[in-house]
Amino acid sequence: MSTTKDFIVEQLKEQIAGFKAEVKHETVGRVIEIGDGIARIEGISEVMMSEMLEFKSAAGSVYGMALNLEEDRVGAIILGDYLGIKEGDEVKCLNRILEVPVGNGVIGRVVNPLGVPLDGKGEIQADKFYPVEKIAPGVITREKVKQPVQTGIKAIDAIIPIGRGQRELIIGDRQIGKSAIAIDAIINQKGQNMKCIYVAIGQKESKVAGIVGKLEQFGALEYTTVVLAGASDPASLLYIAPYAGCAMAEYFLDKGEDVLIVYDDLSKHAVAYREISLLLRRPPGREAYPGDVFYLHSRLLERACKLSQEFGGGSITALPIIETQSGDMSAYIPTNVISITDGQIYLMPELFYQGSRPAVDAGLSVSRVGSDAQIKAMKKVAGKMKLEAAQFRELAAFAQYGSELDKDTMAKLERGKRLQEIFKQGQYSPVPVANQILVFFALINGLADDVPVEKISDFEAGLYKYAASSGAKILKEITEKKELSEKLEAEMKSLINDYKSGLDYLIK
Amino acid sequence: MKITIKQFALSLYETVDGKSPNQVKAVIKKFVEILAENNQLSKAEKITAEFIKIWNNKHGIVEARAVSAKVLEKPAVKLLKDYIVKLSGAKEVMLSREINKDILGGVVIRYGDRVVDGSLKTQLVDLKDKLIK
Repeated sequence: MSTTKDFIVEQLKEQIAGFKAEVKHETVGRVIEIGDGIARIEGISEVMMSEMLEFKSAAGSVYGMALNLEEDRVGAIILGDYLGIKEGDEVKCLNRILEVPVGNGVIGRVVNPLGVPLDGKGEIQADKFYPVEKIAPGVITREKVKQPVQTGIKAIDAIIPIGRGQRELIIGDRQIGKSAIAIDAIINQKGQNMKCIYVAIGQKESKVAGIVGKLEQFGALEYTTVVLAGASDPASLLYIAPYAGCAMAEYFLDKGEDVLIVYDDLSKHAVAYREISLLLRRPPGREAYPGDVFYLHSRLLERACKLSQEFGGGSITALPIIETQSGDMSAYIPTNVISITDGQIYLMPELFYQGSRPAVDAGLSVSRVGSDAQIKAMKKVAGKMKLEAAQFRELAAFAQYGSELDKDTMAKLERGKRLQEIFKQGQYSPVPVANQILVFFALINGLADDVPVEKISDFEAGLYKYAASSGAKILKEITEKKELSEKLEAEMKSLINDYKSGLDYLIK
Repeated sequence: MKITIKQFALSLYETVDGKSPNQVKAVIKKFVEILAENNQLSKAEKITAEFIKIWNNKHGIVEARAVSAKVLEKPAVKLLKDYIVKLSGAKEVMLSREINKDILGGVVIRYGDRVVDGSLKTQLVDLKDKLIK
């Protein structure tokens, strides 16, 4: 016993001896106005833009961030509970720009935008601190986007491919599966060498709890971080949330890893920033958004990138989400973000209510990176499909008038119906890329033309099962070689024909 | 255009700087007239405060406040003044003193928006934080 006592006393002595009583030279100010999460401060003459401030109130310390540096006062947002702060309270400069903890310790955790854990799993073991605001990588450090992000969603992987380092907007009305696409994409990253960050901005905590539960269930939380600024958090936290999430992603980028980051959603982010701006008395512009609302999103999304090999070769792929009001894509924020991103996935309410889910509109959705971000095998099968989908839409509108159609047109219509059916997919059921290629191959080569339209989903599910047992070698070859040789195509054809010979619902 | 308090104070300083007392009297009379004309007499107090700031700034005078637990002796005050002169780069220090038993020991100096916290209380709190870590 005595040894431990001596040890403790010894340690204490050592610590006290090592403690250097420093006289700190600090810059302080006083709160002259407080309310709505905004403080106006006098003094702190040497404060930096977006520097952290410490408010010393009777209820303890609260942190804030300087946003408006004016001639005789400073406007600051308060990151946390502002109700305890009173007029005349002391404010201290902390001499550092707002930072968040980053590192492997944040993986699998739910944190708030300041890096404080919200999941009750204990302290975050951070490797480093990264500044929340950072200038995006420059042009010499970047490289063309060429590797695919497999979302596991057939309609997206085939027609609107997303590459590593791309920024692809997901846009649509409320409640038509925008978040579902992003969550499916995260779930499908298992074993794809990707880290994922899901930034929830102004979301209902119940929804986020549901998402975290699903991620855990599918084992996706092992490589995912959830940054949560809920609907009840102050606007200041909502405002910094995406930047904080991006800072966490940049840690992995700097290590040469690939990251997928989802901002759900940026319309609420813009609304939070509008609130802050109006309270700071910045002049309002269109739809009462401040003048720099474009820069707000462009500086965030520009941080998504693909670095060249010399600079580590990492990437950040961004999937921002925008919610439109009754399909109004020409509102201010949607047009801004559409012009910033490298393409958009447009979700259409009509399609959703017709039952074709995910309700991806193949006509309005584009990916400006295009087929560069597809593996060769997918490029081969999907190239023809894009054309067939486009032709089908035209013909379907034409065929509505009920006139008699020639044989060729009929065939195209039938093919199109099956294509539409194949693009239907349930939530939380991403399809591996080899399986996607197999079923698309069957379709474009007419091998599914004798399957009744209503049986397509059964046909598809059966094909995956059959291929897993009898065609494992073929699937493996597609996954590894990423190319379709003539020999492989012949093998695929015979595999599908073998499978079809056991079916009883084919049209004779 | 509205004239700010700062502009009033600055122009007052510029007109009175280096003038004889009689001239100053005339200037101030005129200044008050201008204030009355512009309906700004209610802001006189703020203008005065700003004027003092500008005056001190131009003449290198620093107003400082030292908080200590015990009454400071003369040599200690001299040392403090010299220390503040060194820190702030000012020519002259106007030191006001305050006794506050709560800081236990040492001294806290405030000048402008700067604070030099050498109190025993703060150091004990820091030591506590370090030991907890």
